[in-house]
Parts: sequence; C-alpha cells; structure tokens
Amino acid sequence: MTLVKEASVRPAGKRSAVPAAGRRGRRRENLAGYLFMSPWIAGFLLLTAGPMIASLYYAFTSYNLFTPPQWVGLDNFTTMFQDPRWQKSVQVTLKYVVVATPLKLLLALGVALLLAQKRRGQGLYRAAFYMPSLIGASVSVGFVWRALFSDDAIVDRTQKVFGLDVGGWIGNPDYVIYALVALSIWQFGAPMVIFLAGLKQVPRELYEAAEMDGAGPIRRFWNITLPMISPVLFFNVLLESIHAFQVFGSAYVVSDTRCGPADATLVYTCYLYQKGFKEAQMGFASAMAWTLVVAVALVTAVLFWSQKKWVHYEEAAK
Amino acid sequence: MGNNGSVERRTVLKAAGASLATLGLAATTGCGGDGGSSGDGTVTLRYAWWGGEPRTIAIKKTIALFEKKYPKIKIKPEFTDYEAFWEKFQTQASGGNPPDVFQNAVGFLRKYDKRGVLMDLKTQADAGNLSLENFRNGVLANGQVDGKQIGIPVGANTMSLVIDLKAFKKAGVEPKFGWTWDEYFDALQTIQDKLKIAGDTGYFAIMYLYDLYLRQNGKAFFSDSALGFTEDDVTQWWEDGYKRVKSGLVADPKKIEQVKPKSGLSAGLAASEFTWDNFSIRYEGEGESDYGLAPIPTTDGKQTGQYLGSLMLSAFSGTKHPKEAAQFIDFMVHDPEVGKIMGYDRGILATTEQYEAFTPTDANNKGVAAYEDEVAKAGVLGKITPHPSGADIIEAAFLRIGGEVAQGKTKPADGAKTLFSEAKAAFAG
Repeated sequence: MTLVKEASVRPAGKRSAVPAAGRRGRRRENLAGYLFMSPWIAGFLLLTAGPMIASLYYAFTSYNLFTPPQWVGLDNFTTMFQDPRWQKSVQVTLKYVVVATPLKLLLALGVALLLAQKRRGQGLYRAAFYMPSLIGASVSVGFVWRALFSDDAIVDRTQKVFGLDVGGWIGNPDYVIYALVALSIWQFGAPMVIFLAGLKQVPRELYEAAEMDGAGPIRRFWNITLPMISPVLFFNVLLESIHAFQVFGSAYVVSDTRCGPADATLVYTCYLYQKGFKEAQMGFASAMAWTLVVAVALVTAVLFWSQKKWVHYEEAAK
Repeated sequence: MGNNGSVERRTVLKAAGASLATLGLAATTGCGGDGGSSGDGTVTLRYAWWGGEPRTIAIKKTIALFEKKYPKIKIKPEFTDYEAFWEKFQTQASGGNPPDVFQNAVGFLRKYDKRGVLMDLKTQADAGNLSLENFRNGVLANGQVDGKQIGIPVGANTMSLVIDLKAFKKAGVEPKFGWTWDEYFDALQTIQDKLKIAGDTGYFAIMYLYDLYLRQNGKAFFSDSALGFTEDDVTQWWEDGYKRVKSGLVADPKKIEQVKPKSGLSAGLAASEFTWDNFSIRYEGEGESDYGLAPIPTTDGKQTGQYLGSLMLSAFSGTKHPKEAAQFIDFMVHDPEVGKIMGYDRGILATTEQYEAFTPTDANNKGVAAYEDEVAKAGVLGKITPHPSGADIIEAAFLRIGGEVAQGKTKPADGAKTLFSEAKAAFAG
C-alpha cells in the first residue's frame, strides 16, 4: 500500500520541479513509449477491436463470408432463441458452468488450505498441483483425456472394479460432459495459487485469539478464514465462471471435433464455431457471440451485486 | 554530452520501435495475397488437398515429377484432413486467397461456383493448356456445372460395402450381386448369432448410402435445388436403423464413437461398413482382419442405385497464373507416371493414359478395380445425383442427426423435422 503511494507521488513532484524544457523531453519520451507499444496497439486495433465492432454489425446481418452482409435486423436473434440446437448449447454450457466451477473451486480451496501449512518440500507440492493449469488447455491433453475416459481405458477399468461399467464416458451422451468437467477440475492450480495468497494475508493473531477463546479448527475456518478470504473467493468465482462460459478447446478435442456424441458436448462456443466456420453463417455466429458477451456481463453484474451480502472487505487493512 | 547521448539513444530506439511497427503492419497486409512470381519468370502455385499420409507421400512424388518437367513452375503443397481442409478453404476463399489448384469433390462444386471461386477450365482447354480428352466412362461430366468445366476428375469411385472377409467366412455367409436388403440383414443376423459381433457400423447415418436406397426406389437424396425425399421417408429409414441398433445388428454407437478416428469395421466392432470403394484401402492398414468389397444390397434384386463419383482438381478463378494452373492439372490427370504413383488412392484413374499405365499388383488396388469392373458389367451404374449448393452441410447434418437417433437421444420423426429445417437454411446459404 505504502509503496504504491510513494510511486504515485514521486513523478508528480518531479514534474513540478522540471519546467518547460523538461516537459518537451517528457512528451518525446511518451512518443517513444507509444512507438514501442505500437505493434501491440496496431494488433489490438486490427485484430481485436476492429473485428469486435465488425461482428457487432454482422450480428444484425445475414452474412455468408462471400456475398456482402445484408441487414436483417433482429432476425438472427429470433431464429437463435427458437433454434433447438442453440437451446441445447445453452443447456450444456450452463450444466458445465454450474457443475465444474464450484467443484474446481472447492478442490482448489481444500488443497490451498493443506498447502498453506509450513512443511518440508512445500514448494514442490505447490508446483506439482499448479502444473496441470499450465498444460490443461493444450490439445495434447485433450487427446490424453479422450484416451483416459474411453471404453476399456483406465477410468472404465477402475469403474468396473466397483461394478460401475458404463462402457467409457466418451461415447456416452449422458457421461461425456463429466469428462470435460473432470478436465476442468484437474486444472484447479490457478485458483489454488490465488487462494494460497489470500490465506497468507489472514492475520495470525485472529487465529491465536480465537484459539484462546476455545474455537476449534472448523469454527476457525467458518468464522475467520472464510470471511477473511471472501474477496479472494469472489475473485476466483468471477474468473472461473467467466472462463467456464467460454470453454471450447477441451470440448472440441475430447469429442473428436464434433462436440458430440449427440450434441452432448455442444458447448456454446462450439456451436458458435460450427455456425461460423463450418456453415458460414457469420451473422448468426456474431449474434451468438454478442449474446454470450451480454450473458456473461449479466452474470458478472449479479455476482458483483451479491458481493455485499457475503464478501467481507477489511476497512482499515493495517 | 550525457544529454546528447541520451537523445541519440532515444532516436535510435524510436526508429527501432517505428520499424517494428511497420514490420507488424507489413506482416498483416502481407497475408493479403502473394502473386508468387519472381524476377526470373518462375511461378509459384499453391496446391492443396485433403487425405491420409499415403496420399500425401504419393502426391509429393508427383509434384517433384512435375517440377522437373516444368522447371519454371514451383508447387507449394498444403494438406490436412477433410474437415479442416474445407474450413480452411472457406476462410481462405472468402478472403480472396484460396490455393491456386486444389482437390475438390462433387458436393462442393455448386457451392463454390455460386460464390465465384472456381475457374471455368474450358477456356484453358480451348487455349491448349489442358486436355479434356480420354476420360473414361464419362466421368468428365462429374466436374461440369451449368455448361462450365469447374472440376477435372482424377479418379472414379463408387459407394460399396466393405466387409470383414474372415467374419463373413466364419459365419458362412456370402454376399452376392443383386442381393436384397432383407438378405443382407439376414446375413448380419447370422453373423451376430454365430460370432457375437454386430453386422454393420451404422449405415443409416450415411447420406451417400441413403441416396442409393432412394435411387433404388425411383427417388434421390437431392433434386436440383431441394431434398428429393419426404420427412416420412427418412423417418422410416431412421426408425428401421434404430431398431437394428437396439437389436444389436448395428454396432453400439457409443463404442463406434470411441474408436474414432478409426472405423468401427477395422476396430472389429462390426463385420461390414458402407463407404466409398477407394476408402477400402485404409482398412487393411488399420485393422487386423482381411477386408473386401461386396455388392450394395438392392430393393428389386437388380438395381443398386450406384453411380461413379469423383474427386477432382479445380483451379481458383482469381489465380494470377491460370495457364500454369491448367498445365499443372493437365499433367496431374494425364501423365502416365503420375498414374503409376497415385494408383487408386483417389479412385480408379480417370483418364485412359493413367489407367493403362497403372497395373494394380496388391490385393487392395486389384479389389477396387475388379469391383468397379463388376459393377460396370452388371449395368447398374446410373447418372450421378445432383448436389445443390449446401450439400456438404446437409451431409454433416444427416450424419449428426443419424448419430443422435442411434444414441436414442432424438426420435426419428423429430430428427427428420430438424434435417428438413436445417436443409432449408443450407440451400439458402
């Protein structure tokens, strides 16, 4: 906190000390800065901002990539809301978000609590648990997952030991989504690290005082740890839900590019991709994209609104 | 001094930054399109295809041959699998930057003709850069749309039934020409009873097989601009299919799903599979049994509904080097050496020069040749079904919905409704 304050004060002081001549030098410095940033700025404008604005326009057109887009007003949206496959994709995505996000965060928090204690080799443990987050999004892991959850593969065989033979998850429309959920949960390392940082911030003396008053570990967790890390929890819930809404790669690879079987892994972005790049209905795909943006914004807004009910910010943090 | 120095350094840095920026911009605009001709008159053509590794190895050999004969033309190969190919192609073509020459199939001709992507190669033929002579069995017509020659066939293939020879033999059933669907399914029943494996991998989701069935009954999958059958027709087709999944005659779709990209036939899940005859070559490499080609079952004891389809080569209408593109296609479809290298990978060689140059020696290629001979002799080959723009999307939808029906997740009648509504959108697109 204090560091930030110092940093923000210093340049101001400097500016007042250096008059007109220095200001010109400063402007040149800024120019150089912008020049250095220009590859990124150009990339942002050309590859991100431009296409986004274009797609907002396309959302109200019929556009097959070849003939110029034709204005159709809200047609894409009305067709979309009535489209059974779109409804299915919303259903699949919601299921994924609602199941995967809490489980992933629970696991992340649980492991973070274990790793917060000082013990030998804790750096190693942290690295080991964090590792899947680094590689989990890759295509090769998607293939591995497909192999793990297929018929007669390790998961299926283990299940058989317990008499739960479902013949592999990948080919079964009722199970395959849970293979994706498992892949998401496995990457709990990123929220775990954030939880760990949050746990380190909880003042020790609170625990000591509670212990003195006879509070057991469960009570200490509910009454001290959880409220104290609630801002971090909020951040993780927000981030992970937004991520989960955008899941694509794992669904695409695990289902052998078809987001099946029987549309069982047809997550929102996968349907968007099929519409846009397989069927060349770019107008429809753009409408889908903007609907997702609005939906995610709404979810975010609701989460922010709910904050005051359960997120606890320390007023005078030391 | 110090001040001076730092200004200088800044200028240098600025220049560096600026040049980086322009480099970035140049890279962006550079994608727009590379003419591909250098100072000494050497021309570069981009040539793209889809297919497995054996095809890629063979095609690269034929490219080397071409470059030797035409030292002024360089070929830049691009290859991937079928689905990725068409996704990429669509994006490239919409940006005005498709490959100069590329593999094409009947289902895509009208779509990309409508979008102005395909060159009418007749003009190049008239200019003497490409010969349209010596095509066998009239397959040249497969590449014609509204009087334009927008594809040049490299081979001819036909739908077939690939069977696991060992399984059929063990069960004591023998496919014969003119057998009916009832006889076919009876045979599968025998196989199921005796060997405890399914008979088929999922015939009812294959658009090109349903087309044959419809043709046997005086219809076809497509008319010139619409679907050539009714919702009731396909509801019936899927209901029968689902019944056969339930009874185990057709392999469990959950299992088929999980062996992908391998086929259910070569994975040993079923004893037969309907597919294009030239695909049969892949099973030998994939599976442990021996595989052979069997006749398509019929409705009336004679008509199989078969026709000769083709893979072809097409050229981009906006290529900067139309003459060279035509010369390249000409070489690839007529040169005898190319025929020897390619074999029947893309179907029976389309021109007499190549057909005569290649003598199949292995069982697979021989089998394909014998099969098409037999089909031709039986006199059952008809004219190819029209493929309106959007055929590719409908084929994918048919496969997907057929899969949902097989999994019991969609009722055949609902699936039929979905198919018809998606088809409507695809034809309009």
